[in-house]
Amino acid sequence: MIKQLYQNIEGDYETAISRMQNDERIQKYLKFFLADESYMQLKNAIEMNDCDSAFRAAHTLKGVCQNMAFSSLSKVVEEITEELRAKNFEKAVEIFPEVVEKYEIVVNEIKKVI
Amino acid sequence: MKRNTLLIADDVLINRELLKDIFEGKFNILEASNGEEAIQILDEKKDEIVLLFLDLIMPKKDGLEVMKHMVLNGMMDTIPVIMITGEATVESDVKAYELGASDIIYKPFEPAVVTRRTQNIIELFEHRISIENELEIRTQELYESKKKLEQSNDFLINALSSVVEFRSLESGEHIQRVKKFTKIILRHWKVLHTEDQLTDEQIELMVNASALHDIGKIAIPDSILLKPGKLTEEEYAEMKKHTIYGCKMLENFKQEENEFYRYCYNICRYHHERYDGRGYPDGLKGDAIPICAQVVSVADVYDALVSKRVYKNSFTIEDAIRMIHDGECGIFSPKLLECFDDAKEDLIEATEKEQQTMKE
Repeated sequence: MIKQLYQNIEGDYETAISRMQNDERIQKYLKFFLADESYMQLKNAIEMNDCDSAFRAAHTLKGVCQNMAFSSLSKVVEEITEELRAKNFEKAVEIFPEVVEKYEIVVNEIKKVI
Repeated sequence: MKRNTLLIADDVLINRELLKDIFEGKFNILEASNGEEAIQILDEKKDEIVLLFLDLIMPKKDGLEVMKHMVLNGMMDTIPVIMITGEATVESDVKAYELGASDIIYKPFEPAVVTRRTQNIIELFEHRISIENELEIRTQELYESKKKLEQSNDFLINALSSVVEFRSLESGEHIQRVKKFTKIILRHWKVLHTEDQLTDEQIELMVNASALHDIGKIAIPDSILLKPGKLTEEEYAEMKKHTIYGCKMLENFKQEENEFYRYCYNICRYHHERYDGRGYPDGLKGDAIPICAQVVSVADVYDALVSKRVYKNSFTIEDAIRMIHDGECGIFSPKLLECFDDAKEDLIEATEKEQQTMKE
């Protein structure tokens, strides 16, 4: 079930299981992921044109995604983090819809299994 | 008590949980979700915390401020900090180490690596702390045995120097007073003549050496040493040799490199030299006479003047000081007289105190 989820969201199940030991643990972290606020903070900051806050939120979200081994989402979050770090705010706004799309896929899939 | 608590400071719950899962059961774990909380926990539990995982970017106070607080409160020496960071860039790594972090771990966490690094750092710190504690204990022990040695040294020097006094039927306190006056004058000399770079330790050695200034008198026959009347020229010539005899005795135990030996030798030999070159035994002139001997010389004369002897009454302190100044009792260097003046108040105070105890 968890393995299926990682396939659906293009994540790295092998890494996740080695890191979190078993499916029950992963499930616990999936709940934490839903509760994590960094995505909302990033969304708000982009809407408010606040580049600094957006960078911090993206940076945090990146760490979370990497820890969860959500490879596909991780990749776009990493891209937007680097654009924000370089203060290319317009470029970041351009990429953001892709982040939204991938994030929503992940959230929907998680809701199915918990 | 062995410290066994980890503090995890990270604003992201998932990051904290991942670390917690790695160390659960092996350590007691405390969590902080921002810098302020981390500081509060550190202040309360700094004696239990064995390591801090610290995220740099956190709300309220950030990781940097947490480390600053630790530095200011002396926690960095006992609590290692492992920085948690998202990416490995040379700049951020260098910055973390500059701040005093012991190590950096990157997200995503690899449990095996994190565990090993954490253990290594904790062991390293515990080892260092125990070495430092050991060192402190040793230093204390050394200090105590040094103190004991000094005490027995003092005892031996005093016992040795009192041998002469005992024989010559003089008041046993002369040597103690010469020591006291020598110390007062040398202390003023140190302040007046910083160019000599006299240390407190050197002063201490000179003061101890001053106790032995008349040790050579042990070799003077009773017929001369204890003679009540005036000495004949021949007898006086023999009496003067106590300076040489003292040195001969010391030479049997020569330690050329030893500062204390040098002071003892110089004081024994030269404490009857005069600034104008008319003293004995070598007729040294001016600043060729070692300072320690000059100081003991004036202290010796001063004490002779203010104390009562079998053959004479004591002078008043004021008269004694004036006589030394006027060259009535030996010729001293202008620098020494200037120093003697500078020390006047302390000398008077010490002399009055001595005379008080003598009466009692």
